[in-house]
Amino acid sequence: MTSVPGTPSAPGTPSTPSASDVESVSDEDVTGWRRMHPVTPALKGWKVLVAVLAIGWFQVGENIEQAIDLLHGTAFLALIGGILLIGLIGFGYSAVAWRVTRFAVTDEAVHLRTGILFRQQRQARLDRLQAVDVVQPLLARLVGLAELKLEVAGGSGSAVSLAFLREAEAEALRAELLALAAGLQRPGPRPGAAAVATPVDATATQPAPVPFEVAPERQVYELPMGRLVSATLRSGAVPMMLLLIAGAITLAIVSRDISAAFVLLAPLFAGVTFVWSRINQGANFRAAISPDGIRLRHGLTESRAQTVPPGRVQAIRLRQGPLWRGPDWWRVEINVAGYGQGDQQQRDTVLHPVATRGEAMTALWLVLPDLGVQDPAALVEAALTGMDDDGGFTPAPRRARWVDPVGWRRHGVRVTERALVTRSGRIWRSVDVVPHERTQSLGLAQGPVQRRLGLASFVLHTTPGPVSPRVHHLDAGVAGALLDEQAERARSARASATPEQWMRAVGAPTLDAPDPVATTVPATDAPRPEPTTGPTTPEWASEPTAHPTPPTAGAGA
Amino acid sequence: MTSDAVPGSREPFDPTDVTWTPVSSRLVGARLTVTAIVLGPVLALLVVMAVVVGEPWVWVFPALVALLVGWIVWLVPRQVRAMAYAERADDLLVRRGIMFRSLVVVPYGRMQYVDVNAGPLARKFGIASVQLHTASPATSASIDGLPPHEAARLRDRMASRGEARLAGL
Repeated sequence: MTSVPGTPSAPGTPSTPSASDVESVSDEDVTGWRRMHPVTPALKGWKVLVAVLAIGWFQVGENIEQAIDLLHGTAFLALIGGILLIGLIGFGYSAVAWRVTRFAVTDEAVHLRTGILFRQQRQARLDRLQAVDVVQPLLARLVGLAELKLEVAGGSGSAVSLAFLREAEAEALRAELLALAAGLQRPGPRPGAAAVATPVDATATQPAPVPFEVAPERQVYELPMGRLVSATLRSGAVPMMLLLIAGAITLAIVSRDISAAFVLLAPLFAGVTFVWSRINQGANFRAAISPDGIRLRHGLTESRAQTVPPGRVQAIRLRQGPLWRGPDWWRVEINVAGYGQGDQQQRDTVLHPVATRGEAMTALWLVLPDLGVQDPAALVEAALTGMDDDGGFTPAPRRARWVDPVGWRRHGVRVTERALVTRSGRIWRSVDVVPHERTQSLGLAQGPVQRRLGLASFVLHTTPGPVSPRVHHLDAGVAGALLDEQAERARSARASATPEQWMRAVGAPTLDAPDPVATTVPATDAPRPEPTTGPTTPEWASEPTAHPTPPTAGAGA
Repeated sequence: MTSDAVPGSREPFDPTDVTWTPVSSRLVGARLTVTAIVLGPVLALLVVMAVVVGEPWVWVFPALVALLVGWIVWLVPRQVRAMAYAERADDLLVRRGIMFRSLVVVPYGRMQYVDVNAGPLARKFGIASVQLHTASPATSASIDGLPPHEAARLRDRMASRGEARLAGL
């Protein structure tokens, strides 16, 4: 194992046999407990200080002049002292928390022990791993530390967060976790059996510290900063902000009182925050493919490197607002079971913040290498911009215009061998794709007006996330038939789906074939130049079984 | 079983090869009791108020509430009759609603856990509700008004079938 400073963790001997071993009965046979990096308390403790200062600021902010008056003389010293004390408490707490926090990785699970007063022991099964993120907040980045986050599909707060580790250690651990989750054996104990990576130390026999090699990856697209900025400025928030500013100015002029304009300050602030967070999160956005799955790297201040293993993407959505139509940009979002709701969702579930048509197709291909049709490019084309029955879509019947006069021609659904593609929205275009084996449950809904018109909406339930596919206002009979067929299709697709441990499907890879990606992924490392027409997605048509994800590889084997 | 199909249109909410099991009609009693508990005191209070005030127009309020009660009394039995479920070989169908109708298909293999709930009132009426959870929070498949033994049977059946078709997500 890489030696963490201050952690005397010779494998086999429990690092500190004092407190933890007394309490733990369930996993005391787990060896190789490790600690976080000792700088962790410093990185976490300052947050307490900031929080206190922020609260203080909000309290004082309104009558700041009085506060400044108060602060002359000894009161000032007392304040400084108080802040220091709070800071010390914060750091002290973090230090104690660091002392009791430790983790261990076994072949089946990651074990994490935390908590000072309320002890928590968490075990995350690796075969249920949904995603692994390496997160580096600004401060941690400066000192070369990183947080490793394991997402399991247990709802909000179920992630296992290992913060902070040294950057290299986090990377190595990620590789190890992904390899174990993929169902590979540790390289050490059974040499040559199923090792995908050459052990660095071939003589190592201890189970814990044998490093896995980081899976090779190949970049498929990256987002230029210019496009991100201009796309963010073209998003719906900016015209709204301009309107607000104009409104504020008018208000101030009409009422001859500048303070009237301050009413609109809050929404304006929200708009600025939105634009900033979009740019901050989307900056340096790069996507790569590796045998471990999709790798996403992004972030300006806080950098994140996400890895979503094959088969973990539950659904994908491509969206386009009216202002993005000119340059033909698309926002690509995914549902991954581990990535929770709310705040986090905005940041984690983006597969491409601003994709050109070609990149959008590449992004779709990353998730679903085989769309299950002869001409996927035409299908995507029809889904993105088509209307009525373009591209073999089943559209909403003409009588649906009574319930949706604007968008009825865009409502449509197309079922391929591998996925369900739904299409909606005339002004805000939206396309959802759900692989059949990822269907959770299905539903039909019908309101009184729809019933009178003989229409029904088809709903597909998927894990929480930005994508919630539904097709509105289909013909009732068609919707009913679709429900039946789709239930059947999802069932048979599940039966032949990838196992949770995705490498199991392709069998044990050999030692000298570490890079299936380089040979199989077509040359897409540069942003693909020409956007739409047929031959730009040759990987779909020509080599549908060449992708490293197991569904196709397993089908060939 | 009961099907109030619109004549002339194919009925998507009533697939042909499915035998629906209706929920217990005791659910009507339970729901009406809840209504009585909530609206009864309100009605009584309004009547007392109208009597005390003595002006005829004040009777409008109790009349409105009485109308609401009447509507609920008319609606609830219909609603309960519309609720049904069906077990197929690989999935469970849950149907509900008259005006706003919905039909949910939950594959056994996607079931994450099953809840059986019975509140004090429901126990009094001898019913329980079964809720099926998949990994999707959107799956709103709950069956209210099952006899307890049926709820238990369904729960065990779901659990065993889910296991047989075990899959991740």
